[in-house]
This record gives sequence, structure tokens and C-alpha cells, in this order.
Amino acid sequence: MASKLIPVVAEIKWIKKESRDTATYALKILDKDVNRDFKYEPGQFSMLSVVGIGEVPISFSSAPTDRDITHTIRIAGDVTTALSKLKVGDLIGVRGPFGRGWPLSELYDREPLIIAGGIGIAPMRSMIREIVNNYDKYFFRRTPVVVYGARTPKDILFRNEFPRYRGFFELILTVDSADPEEYWKGEIGFVTNVIKRLNINPLHTTAFICGPEIMMQSTIKELLLKGVAREKIFLSMERNMNCGIGLCGHCLFGPKFICKDGPVFRYIEVEEFLGIKEL
Amino acid sequence: MRAKIKKEDLVYLFLELKGTHKIIGPKVSNNVIVLSEIDFEDLPLGYRDLQSQGSYKLIKSDESTMFGYSVSADSFKRFLNPPNVEILSFKTSKRGLSFKPLTYQGKPLAFFGIRSCDREALRLYDKVFLEGLERDFYYNSIRQNLILIALNCINPGDNCFCASISTGPEVKGSFDLLITELDDCLLIESGSSFGDRLIKVLPQESVNETHMTKKKLVLEKCMGMFKKKISFNKLPDLIYKNIENPRWQEIAKRDLECGNCTQVCPTCFCSTTYDSVMLNGISKKITEISGRKIRVWDSCFSRNFARVHGGNFRLSRKARYRHWFAHKLAYSLEQFSLPGCVGCGRCITWCPMGIDLTQELEGFSDGE
Repeated sequence: MASKLIPVVAEIKWIKKESRDTATYALKILDKDVNRDFKYEPGQFSMLSVVGIGEVPISFSSAPTDRDITHTIRIAGDVTTALSKLKVGDLIGVRGPFGRGWPLSELYDREPLIIAGGIGIAPMRSMIREIVNNYDKYFFRRTPVVVYGARTPKDILFRNEFPRYRGFFELILTVDSADPEEYWKGEIGFVTNVIKRLNINPLHTTAFICGPEIMMQSTIKELLLKGVAREKIFLSMERNMNCGIGLCGHCLFGPKFICKDGPVFRYIEVEEFLGIKEL
Repeated sequence: MRAKIKKEDLVYLFLELKGTHKIIGPKVSNNVIVLSEIDFEDLPLGYRDLQSQGSYKLIKSDESTMFGYSVSADSFKRFLNPPNVEILSFKTSKRGLSFKPLTYQGKPLAFFGIRSCDREALRLYDKVFLEGLERDFYYNSIRQNLILIALNCINPGDNCFCASISTGPEVKGSFDLLITELDDCLLIESGSSFGDRLIKVLPQESVNETHMTKKKLVLEKCMGMFKKKISFNKLPDLIYKNIENPRWQEIAKRDLECGNCTQVCPTCFCSTTYDSVMLNGISKKITEISGRKIRVWDSCFSRNFARVHGGNFRLSRKARYRHWFAHKLAYSLEQFSLPGCVGCGRCITWCPMGIDLTQELEGFSDGE
């Protein structure tokens, strides 16, 4: 019985520590047929399970065109803590991929503006790597811009990779605060402040945002003020996805199932619900 | 195929079915009509239920009416989507990790006396569990062999309002057999080949046009007996327009968050899963364990329902009540093109505070 409700077994191929509480896990699905047929898009997620503990929804941080399937996980609850204790060679359960990812077709002939906050960089890395792997395919009107905000310089994920992306992106890093003892030549302040000063052509811009909801809302406000079209803003939403296919009801955001209608939405699809507290 | 039978001859239907099927139907337990595995003798014949806001009373009357009572306290959903069920087994050992799906292994189920409201709820359940992105294998293992012996309502309960949502009182969804009680007999209609087979074993008499006219009259009379209604044509807009109405706060003050409404609602489908490892599932080597993934009903009234790491999307009671209400009357229409409320009135009867969904919705209409 092939069902996305039944986990497949994956082995941890390698682990890379990204920051004090975050690490990237490369997974290898053991069943050869399943492994061959496992196709995913940037922005989608899988349910990773540590048996006896539970499951968590985690987005892909690798691009489909990368060699390894990776997930970048921050320690937040029971399951992610259990995951953090695992070693290379350990086995976990994987269900997925689930949801609607980033609309790559919206990249063609545009000026992409990729905005990430905190762990929101993980699903963005999937798209960033997709762009790197297929750069010429998209005929960008100008170099895509990546704005990434973290709490402190220590919390910046994938830091050692960014130099490699310099040729492909205009990269702006910002932190909420930086220890004066530490060497930091990036920006200080919220992502929104960076967006405010950013020089973009609103007619050609397509924005992709992932981060805390409040950050996404204020960012969208700035983008709209700059004249970016509502239809050209995409955001990735977070709720407590549980089943992945719209059975369990946990991830409802108004009438939307984040797990299957999202997690990536065009702004106009969720605009009317975003401002409503505790929906 | 249709036939009429003497009321007492319904026993033959049970005799025919009980060898092959587990018959689920109404019976009296602790002075309440509930659904359970039953035989013919268990049917609450001659009972009447008096339901009102937060109140339920069962009385025995000597009328000759067989099905004079209205909806049972619980709905058929717990037999299709059990409140607590093992859906997967898992095992780790030297040889690796394995998962195995678990399905229903018992006798096929036959729902006896499923009324239009619950039949419509089943339609929504099928949309959720069978017609979504993927079939739920556990639900399907029960549903695929399910027999439906439906019942047309002749006497709505005081909290019923299916007529205003067009989800009753006449059964419109598919069925194997459909029973309509007339004065002196039961009219039985078949809706499947299995139903045809069942009719043939009954001591039947043929039906003429008079019986069909009588059926129409009985249903028309029933239509006129409803005491509650909702303004269904104003949905879902009425909810969206009032999503930030301060009245939610007023309702929340009366709300105990007991979750009774989500338990008795025939369409509420939310669930959660957890891994269960018993002591005997742990071997000497602590890394080798076996256990089950268990799915249990969840309720959006639970505080943890919308919790994620570092936050909770619905912290206030107001938000949780609004979510339930809006899912029933607005979201469901967009998600499944079906109302999430079928008008059975159970949430009104079993709310300890007597919160009445029809009145609360009316409260929003008044403001227009």
C-alpha cells in the first residue's frame, strides 16, 4: 500500500551543524524504488518522525537538483530535540513531500526578491539553490536579491555558503543586534528596514517571503508601499501540520489547509485573513 | 425495488444481517438513546426524546410509532473514524526500522436507522477521508464494506434544523435500504443490489401509489414541525463579515470549552496522532523498540490545538469558539462545497451551557 500516511525509512547520511541550535540533516531513503520516485519542490515539506517520540513538519533546505535531500532543523520541541540526538547512520521515518511549494514559474523574466527571517531561510535555501543550479534558465531582468535577517550574527545559517552565492545574488544580511566584540560588517536592524531602503523596480519584482508571521506582514506592507503588485508577493505560512493531507484539521488558517493549499500562498489568497488576530 | 412490511417483521432484516454484519443502531443506555451494536430487541420502540438547549429527556409512550424518537446522542462517526485507533505499527531492530499500516479487521458494519442529517455528515466524511489528496486507509477499510439502512425522519427533535440547510428530513444520499414509517406499516425502498437482496428475504407485500403518496405526506408533515432554523442562504458571507465582531467575546463568556459539541458533531473530523510504546515494546537494548501510532479525536476547543513551537495561534477562548463556528458554517463550504453543519442539533442539546448555534448565528444577522 503506497500511502503518504505511512512513513518510509530514511538513513541519516550526514549532519552539519549550522548554529548553536540548528543543524542540517541529509537523508537517504532506503527503499530504492521510493528513493527514485521521491520528487519534491522547493518550499514543500516532509513529516519527519523519530519513532516513539513523534513527527514534525520540516521543509526541504536542498533543491531538487541537489545530490542530497536535506532538512535544516532547529531544536524547538520534543521531536526536534530527539532528532538532534541522532547520529549519522541512524534511521528515521519520512512522509512526504507535502504541500505547494514556491512557484518557480514566477521567476522567469522577473527580478526576484527573496526575503527570509530566522529559520525561514531553510525553505528559501531550497529555492536559492534551485536558482544557482539553473541560473540561465530563468532570464532574470537583474540579479536576484536575497535579504536575510537573523537575531545575531551567530544565528546566521548557511553562513559559509553565502560567498559561493555572491555571483548569483545581491545578498543583504541583517541582524537584530550584534555583539560589539564580534566582527560584523552586515546590517543591523529588522528586515523591514532593509526593504524600506532597497532600490527595486516594483513592476518587475516578484517577492518570496518566509519568516515569522509578524515579520512577513510588516515586510508585505513595505513592499506594497513600494508598489509591488499583490499578485507578485508569495509567502510561506506556518501552522502545526500533522497529517499533511488535510485530514487532521490542525493547520487551518481560515478556510485554508496550510498543509495542502499551502504552505506557500500568493498574497492575495490569504490577504483578507492575515490581519485577523488568532484566526 | 420497494416493498411494505408489517412493523414487527423488521426483525427478519436483523436476522438476515446479523450473521454477516455488525449492526450499529440506536438503543437506550442510561436513559439516553445512543448508537451501539444492536439486535432487533434493542430498538427503542415507543420512546420519545425531549431535547432542548442543554437538556435531554427520554420518555416512554405507548404509541404504536416505532421511530418516533429523533437523533441519538452520538453520531455514526465514531464507528467509521474511531475516537482512539491504532493506524500504524512500528518496530526498530538490528535489521532496521519498519512501519506497517493497520486496518479494520472486524465484520463489515451495517448502520441501521441512519437519518438524513447523519447521511449528509457521511457525505462530508467521505470528502475528507476518501476524496482528498489521498484515501485514508483506515477509514476506507471500514467504509468500503459499509451497509446503510437509512431512515426517513417523521418527527424532528426540538433542536433539529436540517430542513433549513436542505440536509433533511428526507434522505437524499445513497443507501442500501431506506425505511419510511407509515401508520400501519414500514415502506422499504432499496438503493442497491445488496438492498434488493435484503428486501427479498423480508415477508413483503407489494406497494401501490397510495403508499408513496402517504410517504410524501408524512415527510411534508415533518417539514412543518421544525422549531429551529438557520439563515443558510446568508452563509458563508455572514460569518466573514462578522469575523471581528465583539459578540464572539460575549459567546466565549458562556463557553466552558468542554468540547462536547465537537464530540457529538457528526461532521467534526479533527484528529491528532501520537506514538505509543508500551513497556513490553522495549527490549533489553533500549534502542530496539516497537509500538503503535495511535490516532485520537482532537477538538479545536483544546488549548493545544493550534500550538506550535514557541507560540499558540489561538490563545483566547473567543478565538477557539469562533474557529469552530466558522469552520462549521463558512470554511467547510469553501473546503468541501458542503456545509460543516447538517442541522442535527446535537451541539445544542449536549452543550452544558445550552449555547445554541442557531441563535448565535441569528445574533449576527440582527446586526445587519
